[in-house]
Amino acid sequence: MNSAKNDTSPLKITLRGDIRQIPRLEDYVAELASRSGMDPSLALSVNLALEEAVTNVLLYAYPKGQDAVADIEAFASKGSVRIILSDSGVPFDPTKADTADTSLGVEERPIGGLGIFLVRQIMDSVEYRYEGGKNILTMTKNF
Amino acid sequence: MEIIIKNQGTETLVELVGRLDTLASQEITPQMTGLQDKADGVIILDCKKLEYISSSGLRLFLTLRKAAAVKGGKVIVRSISPEIRNVFMMTGFLNLFQVED
Repeated sequence: MNSAKNDTSPLKITLRGDIRQIPRLEDYVAELASRSGMDPSLALSVNLALEEAVTNVLLYAYPKGQDAVADIEAFASKGSVRIILSDSGVPFDPTKADTADTSLGVEERPIGGLGIFLVRQIMDSVEYRYEGGKNILTMTKNF
Repeated sequence: MEIIIKNQGTETLVELVGRLDTLASQEITPQMTGLQDKADGVIILDCKKLEYISSSGLRLFLTLRKAAAVKGGKVIVRSISPEIRNVFMMTGFLNLFQVED
């Protein structure tokens, strides 16, 4: 897919608009997996974490009527990936979001709130900073 | 993503095929919502060919499960892959559904 000059350059993708571009993440993560040596099973988990973080940006970061843009840059090395997601939407720190109570029963269990929870469950570290008018989320997975 | 619904008497067999990502979840929401009419019986979600699920897909499952709880029916999740089982484990969904091979 992306014609990077070599494997040490970051792998980039930009998703614009709404969630219709979400399926593009599948090929993107496959490329990341081949560069880093992630097995297919772990690649599915990383795909999931990334999709949840990006969906959050595309659906909620921008005021209605404004075009949503999610920039993704990933660095792969053997046994590790670092993914940096940035957007120019309203400041929001997902690392401070409420965590899901997974012990609740069917009736009490809220319908939503699992997206960010999954990001934090899957990735080894999730760091947020707001800089130059951008939300910057750095997610790392070692394997 | 494909959803195939077969009515078999009091049982409803729902075959989910492909990747249930955020976009696919939105696309099959009408069918999943329609299934709530059958939530007084047994609904089997056959996940043998389901490759991937995101939180939006989990939301569809849970909404149906809640409808079944209200109507006295049952939702069975069948043949999930090890990866999807892992997602069910992380989110506590293994405790919310009857999961069978």
